[in-house]
Amino acid sequence: MNKNKEKLLNSRYRAEKRFQFYGKSAIFLALLFLTIFIFKIFSTGYTAFQKTWLIVPVTFDAETMYLDENPSKEDLEDADYFDLALQTMFNLDKSASEKQQNDLKRMVSYFFEREIKRELLNDPSLIGKTKDVYLTASDDLDQVFKGNYPRDLPEDQRRVTDYQLKIFDQLVEQGRVESKFNLSFFTYPDSREAELAGIASSFMGSIFSILVCLVIAFPVAVLAAIYLEEFAPKNRFTDFIEVNINNLAAVPSIVFGLLGLGILLAVFHLPRSTPLVGGITLSLMTLPTIIIACRASLKAVPPSIREAALAMGASKMQTTMHHTVPLSMPGTLSGTIIGLAQALGETAPLILIGMVAFVNTIPGSPLDPAASLPVQIYIWAESAERGFVEKVSACIMVLLGFLIIMNLFAQIIRHKFEKKWS
Amino acid sequence: MKKNGVKMIKINSKNVDVFYGKKQALFNINLDIEENQVTALIGPSGCGKSTFLRCLNRMNDVIDICRVKGQIIINDFDINDKSCDVVRLREKIGMVFQKPNPFPKTIYENISYGPTIHGMAQSKNEMDEIVENSLKKAALWEEVKDRLHEPGTGLSGGQQQRLCIARAISVKPEVILMDEPCSALDPIATAQIEELIDELKKDHTIIIVTHSMAQAARVSQNTGFFHLGELIEHGSTDKIFKNPENKRTQDYITGRFG
Repeated sequence: MNKNKEKLLNSRYRAEKRFQFYGKSAIFLALLFLTIFIFKIFSTGYTAFQKTWLIVPVTFDAETMYLDENPSKEDLEDADYFDLALQTMFNLDKSASEKQQNDLKRMVSYFFEREIKRELLNDPSLIGKTKDVYLTASDDLDQVFKGNYPRDLPEDQRRVTDYQLKIFDQLVEQGRVESKFNLSFFTYPDSREAELAGIASSFMGSIFSILVCLVIAFPVAVLAAIYLEEFAPKNRFTDFIEVNINNLAAVPSIVFGLLGLGILLAVFHLPRSTPLVGGITLSLMTLPTIIIACRASLKAVPPSIREAALAMGASKMQTTMHHTVPLSMPGTLSGTIIGLAQALGETAPLILIGMVAFVNTIPGSPLDPAASLPVQIYIWAESAERGFVEKVSACIMVLLGFLIIMNLFAQIIRHKFEKKWS
Repeated sequence: MKKNGVKMIKINSKNVDVFYGKKQALFNINLDIEENQVTALIGPSGCGKSTFLRCLNRMNDVIDICRVKGQIIINDFDINDKSCDVVRLREKIGMVFQKPNPFPKTIYENISYGPTIHGMAQSKNEMDEIVENSLKKAALWEEVKDRLHEPGTGLSGGQQQRLCIARAISVKPEVILMDEPCSALDPIATAQIEELIDELKKDHTIIIVTHSMAQAARVSQNTGFFHLGELIEHGSTDKIFKNPENKRTQDYITGRFG
């Protein structure tokens, strides 16, 4: 008898130990995947925050720019910088053949004449003088400098020619290549050239979409939740509505995209590719999430508080607005933020309503065409250039940072405004 | 209180039946409540005494499946009549619950809430006065006067219950309903509340539901005994405790069941 009990006891201990081991391994596995994922993104992405510049001496020769003497501001604005810019690059190797000159031109971004122009507009007294100007290196050389480009490939499999590498190495030796913080990644819109592509357009697009989504989804969802939870009679019809709200929360997001495409664009003719349409579509998706969160936190308000208010002679409306709703707000708000965070990471519905279009302007309002961060990731991930590989990871980092900040905010709201009741 | 030797009846209930869905919870209750007296409702759990109490300020309206039949007449007015406004009714009939349930707001806001929604104070000074008087009447003023703007939920259980009483009397109700107000409190806090009830009956008519025979005997002048949804016996507390007419009352009071 005693022995039997001992056996039972030991097996109980063993069962608990086994269970703890399983639990710990599960957590370890989850953390491992997360670490690999984050490490991968950071290790490919961090270089995108650096940009390579070639420092090239430019001789601002009035004749090459077809400028008269004492040019006005407008003249400088309208002057032809292309020949000057070309000449600047050709000067790097005076004995270059025509093909090599073409290579030289392609060592910098196609934007380079504008960089030279900006330099002169900033300081018109430079005419006739020579100055070192920072020019954005082409994305291939940028990758070479960052060590992401395999130089040992045979030349015909590389986008960088041996000649370009030779000149580039000379420049490096002369200290004429510099790596600086890549501000343009945050201030430029998308571009076909990896070295010039930035997230400004998609970032603003995401912000506008989220704002539209918040403005529409929050009031509608909160009002619906309050009515359903506090005022609506409990009958079959409201049960039916409740079931369908829960179903709506489980509908795949691409279905909402089809809805946006079929109704907002086709019937109402709202402007395509805009954060307005994106935001409305996302708000349909966020609506059930907020309704469910709001109802849950209304339910969590103890009935004793409602009874206390009613017994004081507060009307149903006063009880709800003075007591129940304020007490449910922390839960509702953090539910809202989590719903918005979901919407922020949503790609499929935005692709359907056209926010996948190539947009190289920064939107100033929700009515301007824009991309969004997750769609930007998708667009870049499809591009062939090596320069976009690091940009994809960098964009993911920005999106993750955005999400972490939002979730942190949700936590803070929950902790700060949560009230304890007896 | 007696006027010209005749007891004043504050609440008069006639043939009150209560149903929860199909189940009948109260059967034909006829009970008169005297003005400025404490009436205790006693009986075993589930006997309907709390249900009856909640009929008196129509708190049963909150429960969807609950239906109340019969007449409850307060000040010559049937509160179950369609023309009765529950907000006005509950302003006149306050309630204190079993578990202290202060609002998760400051002590001051807890008291000022009722007067605010009923528009009883014209100025900040008037409101301060109401808050102070209510807290004094609830014997809580001395303990909280220095921390009126701290949360009411930070008080001890007994203090919270007195806060709830102060909140109830802040709107100067004619009747105060108490649903086992001491069941969550220790003996010292209970004694304080009982003292308070005795004090409050000067200005208010009090109806208290209690599980404690001793408490009913200590605080009340009248007692009603409920059993299985029926009012078995009611009368003066002395008579019910010393000389009950009904066998079941006697059994319950002497602790043979319940």
